[in-house]
Order: sequence, then C-alpha cells, then structure tokens
Amino acid sequence: MDNTYWEGEIEKIDRRALEALQFDRLNETIARAKDSDFYRRRLPERVESLEEVETLPFTTKQDLRDSFPVGMVAVPKDKLVRLHSSSGTTGRATVVYHTRGDIEAWADLCARSMYMTGMRNTDVFQNMMGYGLFTGGLGLHYGAERLGALTIPASSGNSKRQIRLMCDFHTTALHITPSYALHLYGVFDGEGVEPKKDLGLRIALLGAEPYSEGTRRKIEKLYGIDAFNSYGLSEMSGPGVAFECTEKEGMHVWEDSFLLEVIDPKTLTRVPDGIEGELVFTTLRREGMPLIRYRTGDIASVYKKECPCGRTHRRISRIKGRSDDMLIIKGVNIYPMQIEKILMDIPEVGNNYIIEIDTVDYLDTLIVKIEVGQETFHGKISELEGLKRRITDLLRTEILIHPKVVLVEHNSLPASEGKAVRVIDRRGEK
Amino acid sequence: MASQVTVFVENRPGRISKVTRVLADKGINIRAIMISDMGEYGLINVVASDPDGAEAVLRDEGFTVFRKYVIGVLMEDVPGALADVAEFLHKKEINITNAYGFILKEGARAVLIIEVEDFVHAERVLRKGGFHTLTKEELENL
Repeated sequence: MDNTYWEGEIEKIDRRALEALQFDRLNETIARAKDSDFYRRRLPERVESLEEVETLPFTTKQDLRDSFPVGMVAVPKDKLVRLHSSSGTTGRATVVYHTRGDIEAWADLCARSMYMTGMRNTDVFQNMMGYGLFTGGLGLHYGAERLGALTIPASSGNSKRQIRLMCDFHTTALHITPSYALHLYGVFDGEGVEPKKDLGLRIALLGAEPYSEGTRRKIEKLYGIDAFNSYGLSEMSGPGVAFECTEKEGMHVWEDSFLLEVIDPKTLTRVPDGIEGELVFTTLRREGMPLIRYRTGDIASVYKKECPCGRTHRRISRIKGRSDDMLIIKGVNIYPMQIEKILMDIPEVGNNYIIEIDTVDYLDTLIVKIEVGQETFHGKISELEGLKRRITDLLRTEILIHPKVVLVEHNSLPASEGKAVRVIDRRGEK
Repeated sequence: MASQVTVFVENRPGRISKVTRVLADKGINIRAIMISDMGEYGLINVVASDPDGAEAVLRDEGFTVFRKYVIGVLMEDVPGALADVAEFLHKKEINITNAYGFILKEGARAVLIIEVEDFVHAERVLRKGGFHTLTKEELENL
C-alpha cells in the first residue's frame, strides 16, 4: 500500500478530472449560496463552464462585515454547529459559520495536510496556537485527531509550560508561529534543556504570520527539525487551505475544496500562473457559509511546474505580503516582508527587530530598531557601527530607501508570543 | 590580568543609575567608570572590585555585557607619568584603542586602564620596560 498520501486518489487526481469536479462543485456551491440573503440576488442560477466563474462578483472583507451577523448564512440555524470570528480590531468582526459537515471536511483537509508533511498517527502533536475564536488552534487540533496523532492542546503562551510538556510527553511535532519558535528557543537555555539533544522533535508546522525562507532555515537549524509552511485564513475555515509537502517548495492548494484564482488587485483581472497577484478563493464544499470569489488580500504567485511529489494540486509561493499592508514610503511601494527578508539574512539581527515608519521633518522615515544581544556584543563600538552601516547599505540597495538603524537594549522590544507585530506606522499619530 | 565589564545601554535617562545601583546592591565597588557616547546608545566600561560578580549580576538584570581583558598600569600621581606610559607604547608600536585613569590616593598613586588589540603582548612589553601592571588580585585589593 502506498503510504505517501492521505487520500491518494484525490491528491493525485488528473487535472481534467479535477476541473470537472470543480465545475460540479461550483454549481452546487452557487445553488447553496443563493439560500443566503447576501448572495440571493447576486448570483445566476448556474454557470455553464468553469471559466465563467470570472463573471461572478467578488466577495470582500467589507461584504463580510456588512452582512454581520448572519447575512451570508445559507442553512437553517439548526444545521450550524460552530462559528469562528475575527477579532475585529480594524472594523466590525467577521464571522464564519460551520455545519457538522464543514467541520468534518475541514478536519479532513487538515489531516491530509499534516500527513503530507510526514506526520503519522505515532506522532505526539503539541498544538501551540491559540484555541478559541482564532481558527489556528482548533483547525489543526481536529486535523491531528483525525490523523490519529496524540494531540496536546497546549494553546499559545506560557513558554516554561510548553517546554515542560515537550519534555514530559516526548512531543515530536509542533504547530507554532515562526516568531514564537524563535522566541521560545531563548527560553530553553534558562530551563536547562537543549532542544536538539533532549527532545525528540522532528516536525514543526509554521503558520499564522508571514515569514521568510531565512527564518524557516533558522528554525530548522536551531531545533534540528523539518519546518513546513502552512496557509489558511478564517474566511476559508482556517488552516488547511494550502500546505507544503516534503519538497518544501511552495504550498499545495487543495483545489478539490477551493477554487483558486490570482488577480491583479488593481485591474481585478486574472493573471497567469507564475505572476504575482492577489489570491481569490471560492469554497467548493462549504455548506454553512459558502463564499464566492473571496478576495483574500494576500499577494502570492502560482507555480507553473508540477510538483515532483506527484500531487496535481497547484502550488502557491510564500505570501509576499498583503495588498492592504503594503507600505508606501517616500512614494515607493514596499511590503514588510521585503524588509524582513533582508534583516533575516544578517545573523546578528535574528528575530529581534521592529520596523517603524515615522514622519521626521515632514519626511517619511524608515526606522529599523535592533536589539543588541549577548551573542553579538563584543564591547566594540566599531563592530556595532559596522553592523548599522551594513544594514543601512543592504536596505538602500534592495529597497532604495535610506533607513535609520537604531540599536536598542536586549528585551526592550515587545516580545512576540503569538502573532508578531513588527511594523508600526506612526505617520498618522501626530 | 585586569578586566573590565562593558555594558550596552540606550542613551536615555536612568540607565547609568540603573547599572551602578545594581552593582551597589551587590556590594561591588566601582574602581573606574568610562562612558562612550554614540548618540542613541552608549557603552559603559566599568572596572570593578569584583569583575566576576559584576558581570553576573548585570547579566541577570538583562543587560548585554561583554568582559574584556585590559591592562591596568600602576603609576605615580605626578605630572608626566601618563605621558611616560603612552610614549613607551608608542615607541614599541603598540596602539592604544581606549584609555582612562583613576587616582588611588591624591599625590601618591594612580592607575591607567588601557585597551589594546593584543593585551598579552602589550602587558609583557610593559613589564619588561619596568612598568607595574596590575594582576586581577591586586586590582581587587586596591
């Protein structure tokens, strides 16, 4: 028996068969969606081809907010078993409702994703994502149980307890944010635990925030593990939308469950594979709250080539940024990820930095604050000034902006337990 | 061999008082202190009665600390004593990267703390040249 795949038949499905399946499911989705107040008059009865999806209207985050609380629900209330909601820090909360079937389908996708990274039912899985309204925790929790792994619902935070759990129960797989993985490594030393030597960790699933290839390599090296990139968003249920296989080269989007389009965020027209654009998804299986052509705001591109792993589901690149977190500094468009990538390649910087944008003498100024840690400090001014110069030069050549690099004391920047906020735009504060 | 503890601090009110208070609370005496101001940050160099203790307690407080060997030259507190040391090192082509001094007893003895690239070589040369360089124990028991 081939034990590479969780559901080999669907994971290796022929592209033409996949498109036929998508077409059928798209029409089923349209039919279901029309039972909601929001989609009732917006959608045609059906589409005649898969390409015709482009004639359907987009759904935006604002639409989700405007239809709060139940405008997009497509089933009677007694069919709903759970809701997840965004924190609503930038406006009214967005809510997604699930039927029992939705929860099961989601757990299946998560199990399929985790199996793809090499996780098996013999693994001990410590889930260090927040449980609750946030989808990261519960999503992979159900997936891991479906997979059959021994699941520790550790949730986020409390570093010392996390380490204790890893030691006591011989954790082999983690679900963790990259910034917390880097933060946690610093705590191990104080606990007298050497992760590579004293623990049996082998896999980390990294998600919930964008990070660079340099960060992945760093985490893999520090912990002696394989780290896999995960992609999901609460509007598409949560994690399990796309995941990396053991090739670690792009994330397979589960196209039997999500119809993927990439569009130019300005012209709103589709761009070909290989070109960067905004990811747009249509749910193909969801019952409680189907979403048609949902604009994610996430910028990425689709790989042109097939993956050597044998799965036919197309791969997306890392998320380069969000169409809405793009910064315009002195008229130059910059994604925070571009800055992060540069900083991550400088060993002395590591995880300990923050980016501020401020107005100084009426001019936009990019300020990079970097903590001076024990391992990089040798009491030499020349060395510290050299580091500042190096960072300044790199940023100037790469993003054409002259930054102000400021060295700050160790532990003076906000610790990153959970989602890291690394960019602070202070331009509107005065 | 004498050593100094170098602390990285941001240039904002209260940092020097914090560093010195931490040392005082541990009963550590500061023999000499020298601050290099670099604008937004600075380095505080401290020669302490107990360098091991000073390094440990500052690290415990979360400071980024570096321990560096330096040369402590015992001199007479008279005009020209410092110039003698500097001229001697110049003749021997040894570059001083940082220096500061303190008086032990007015009109009697003073100590010059110097940083050099190769302190083992520099200390050997100074001793051969008849200068008294302080050991760790001597510095602690001054």
